[in-house]
Amino acid sequence: MPFNHKPQKFNASINTVEIGCGDKAITLGGEKTFPFYTFDAPLENAPKIGVEISDMGLEGAPAGVVAYYGEGASYAEMAKKAAAMEGADFVCLKLEGGDPNGENKSIDELIEVVKEVGEAIDVPLVVEGCKNVEKDSELLPKVAEALQGKNVLILSAREENYKAVGASAGLAYQQKVGAESAVDINLAKQLNVVTTQLGVAPKSIVMNVGSAAVGYGFEYVVSTMDRIKAAALSQGDAMLQMPIITPVADECWSVKEAMASEADMPAWGPAEERGIKMEIATAAAVLASGSDAVLLKHPQSVATISKMIKELA
Amino acid sequence: MAKFVTIGERIHCISPSIRKAMETRDPEPILKRAKEQIAAGATYLDVNIGPAENDGEELMKWAVQLIQSECDNVPLALDTANKKAIEAGISVYNRSKGKPIVNSADAGGRIENIDLAAANDAIVIALCSAEGIAADNDERMMHCQNMLERGLMLGMEAEDLWFDPLFLVVKGMQDKQMQVLEAIKMFSDMGLNSTGGLSNNSNGMPKHIRPIMDSALVAMAMMNGLTSAIVNPCDLRLMETIKSCDIFKNNTLYADSYLEI
Repeated sequence: MPFNHKPQKFNASINTVEIGCGDKAITLGGEKTFPFYTFDAPLENAPKIGVEISDMGLEGAPAGVVAYYGEGASYAEMAKKAAAMEGADFVCLKLEGGDPNGENKSIDELIEVVKEVGEAIDVPLVVEGCKNVEKDSELLPKVAEALQGKNVLILSAREENYKAVGASAGLAYQQKVGAESAVDINLAKQLNVVTTQLGVAPKSIVMNVGSAAVGYGFEYVVSTMDRIKAAALSQGDAMLQMPIITPVADECWSVKEAMASEADMPAWGPAEERGIKMEIATAAAVLASGSDAVLLKHPQSVATISKMIKELA
Repeated sequence: MAKFVTIGERIHCISPSIRKAMETRDPEPILKRAKEQIAAGATYLDVNIGPAENDGEELMKWAVQLIQSECDNVPLALDTANKKAIEAGISVYNRSKGKPIVNSADAGGRIENIDLAAANDAIVIALCSAEGIAADNDERMMHCQNMLERGLMLGMEAEDLWFDPLFLVVKGMQDKQMQVLEAIKMFSDMGLNSTGGLSNNSNGMPKHIRPIMDSALVAMAMMNGLTSAIVNPCDLRLMETIKSCDIFKNNTLYADSYLEI
């Protein structure tokens, strides 16, 4: 009997969320199928790649990354180079220096960086806080204010501070809001419910449902994303139809496979190559599990993942 | 599995205020009940215009357009013995939120409503009785088979026939309740959708008892595979029970605020 292809059709789709302005604006989401199931329906918007830069400059960056930006590059120069990287769709500025347990930079100082980066580029911008809940509650509303009119995505509103972050970014300054949970599917949905109840439009929300480097409990990440896409598409769950963005670089460059020096682990080969492999493997896997965007760091990972997306989409 | 489908039953010409609104074409009372039910979580709304022998076609068109235009094209179940009125309603019906439901066909005198649904790409509620209540489940399932075959012959998808076992009143037919639940299980085992006027079970009981009985029955029926019911969505206990059962059945993903959505 000949094979009779019957496309799997859903009466639901992932929301589309636009980030940025003008010609360079990007649209996340919109898919009506499981990830890359182009045999069921054409992909509305291919997944996007964001290139991560930091207020900490190139501190601790792998040699290939330092070489790409050039030692001593200003924030504006870094932002422009990130935007111009082969395969990049947008730039993500991390404000990790704000962490009270680290550099503890002042909010004013960080906002200067935000403004410099915002003015330097015309590609869409995503700004990630310092991950400290209290500091981010103050910092991120200021970021949303400083970038008014640029339609940026603010990462992230979490269970502890979604009111402060959601109300400022999503309501007062009309930016897009990232809702972050840590591989907890019920919390991912709950955050979308309460953020929506605040008055933030569902189409202004992007989820970061958490990640892990491959080999570090990654199967939980896969099952979380799988279940979310199944609920969004086959159960028509409006509270899980937000597109997913996944910070990959954060997880990958801090595990021992990427960090242990070649001197300590001669059998493993050069550290930077391992880091790139971790980044590529993790990004490929989260995209195959349903992420609509990934945040990467190394030019080689960005080029490789971009090629993968082009060939699959 | 898909979420349980609630069909709100409160736009019914048996209610004096609705009957009067229908007679005088007064939008207000009808829209009020439509919006209340949607806010309470109804998926579909039933629009019962009674026998409507004189002006049924015009009345159904008016009601469908009124409710859909004011309520974001909420999907509707068109409920009347007047076939022409159902067709007239479908002719102006907006399908963007779901197909219309023809309420209802049976295996007796109203079997042609299956033909009507087939011709109009509608869902049909198929009542498993012919002349009077089925004596037992052999008879119920015979009616079910006959109606299913008729629908399939006319090109319908099986999923568009929603079988109604006919919920029976406890006061008087207490010994038949488990049969009804078994019939639902049989529909479910055949992969069929099902629905029915669930609150019929508590007819004649004190007002404060009815939500308790209805909630218990809906939980047992959902366990047996019931996929929809015609209910009063403003009954909070009942709706909370349905939402909770949808969680246990993995029809919806749990979140702490699940009762609010």
